[in-house]
Amino acid sequence: MKKSLLTTLAEPGHLQPRFQPIFRLNGRVNQVHSIEALVRGPLGTNFERADILFDYVRRKHAEPLVDRVCLSNICGAAVGLPSNFRLNVNVHASTLGQNPEFAAFFQKETAKHGLALHRFTVEIVEHSPTRNIPAMLHNIAALRESGVRIALDDVGLGQSNYRMMLDCHPDYFKLDAYFVQGLCVDPKRRAVVESVATLADALGSSVIAEGAESLGDLGALEQLGVELVQANVLCPALPAQELLATGLLQSGLVEFDTALLASGVSGQPKGNKKSNGKHSQPQQEAKEAAGKVLTLSAAQTM
Amino acid sequence: MSDRILILDDDEQLAYAYKEHFSALGYRVDCAQELEEAQTLLAHFPYSVAITDLRLNKLGFGGLELVKHIREMSLRTRIIVLTGYGWPELKSEALSQQVDAFVRKPTPLADLVHLIGQLTGGAQA
Repeated sequence: MKKSLLTTLAEPGHLQPRFQPIFRLNGRVNQVHSIEALVRGPLGTNFERADILFDYVRRKHAEPLVDRVCLSNICGAAVGLPSNFRLNVNVHASTLGQNPEFAAFFQKETAKHGLALHRFTVEIVEHSPTRNIPAMLHNIAALRESGVRIALDDVGLGQSNYRMMLDCHPDYFKLDAYFVQGLCVDPKRRAVVESVATLADALGSSVIAEGAESLGDLGALEQLGVELVQANVLCPALPAQELLATGLLQSGLVEFDTALLASGVSGQPKGNKKSNGKHSQPQQEAKEAAGKVLTLSAAQTM
Repeated sequence: MSDRILILDDDEQLAYAYKEHFSALGYRVDCAQELEEAQTLLAHFPYSVAITDLRLNKLGFGGLELVKHIREMSLRTRIIVLTGYGWPELKSEALSQQVDAFVRKPTPLADLVHLIGQLTGGAQA
């Protein structure tokens, strides 16, 4: 008899970690601020897509199990990434609420892979109301005490509400792409983003905007004081080796300002621009892949 | 664009035999072995036809549960109940849930293909 999908997911090798840089916008020379670890399901299946994978996981009420498996896989894959970058990992609020030992597991798992706890930010994902708030807060406090920072994911959508902002004291608000895409041409979206930025500032948090699709949106974010952005147009989520091959993490600085993008030139890792022809084939391919995405963003603004 | 078919059956060999056959005819076919898997796929993809067994003992639920779920989500998906059980009350209950066809196992593949063609408005994909 075939194993259930859930059983398959829990076995090694079926969940695929991907890593996407979060940039700090700073004019012409920008900086990789941190890296979000994302997970894809079994390759070649419908569940490779993260939205489908985690929809299934939530229908099975298996978030605690799968979050643990994800963390193990991410830690294993993140070992090769430079240690000067922070790592963001997603954890369901329900996992934190149902599994009082999650913080201890987190500490043990990261230690097993030699990854310092202070490098991590836990992004709390909440798709349904959290029933056991005391247990969730206990886990958050334990994580924070060990140096982990906290982010609230999907702010503006679903259950990431004002109460969570007060209860979790997030270091970061992850602003959902819904509010970011089209920001530059939509005064209503602009009003929402501005209000979130003001609120985050008042609460001592920073905003990370997800999903910008155009230069205009990036410009609007900068104008509104949102400096941290994560977007496929800047760099898609890639396997660790491919991300390393882009060169983006070597100096941590990258140029992709408006002028460069508009001219169709891809983001260039600072200090790595004269290494023409010296990349290995996979490095060159990964770089070209990132370049195509960046070029696309320029084309979209025309 | 070819029609998409969802097959829910806990008989893995049978489900994948159907998948291979229908795929060769140009349909896009997904198989699910449990309710949540099927519900997830239904939430993300538009299916022209769903084929489900009624008694899925290994999975711990009845196919009627999926039939109800599909009808709540979409009136456009045609539902074929394929079952080894022909009890009149079972058939009656299935039909009351707006099932489009009630087919007894075993049934020749050619008949099933013909039925899918009828339900999707074409002879084949």
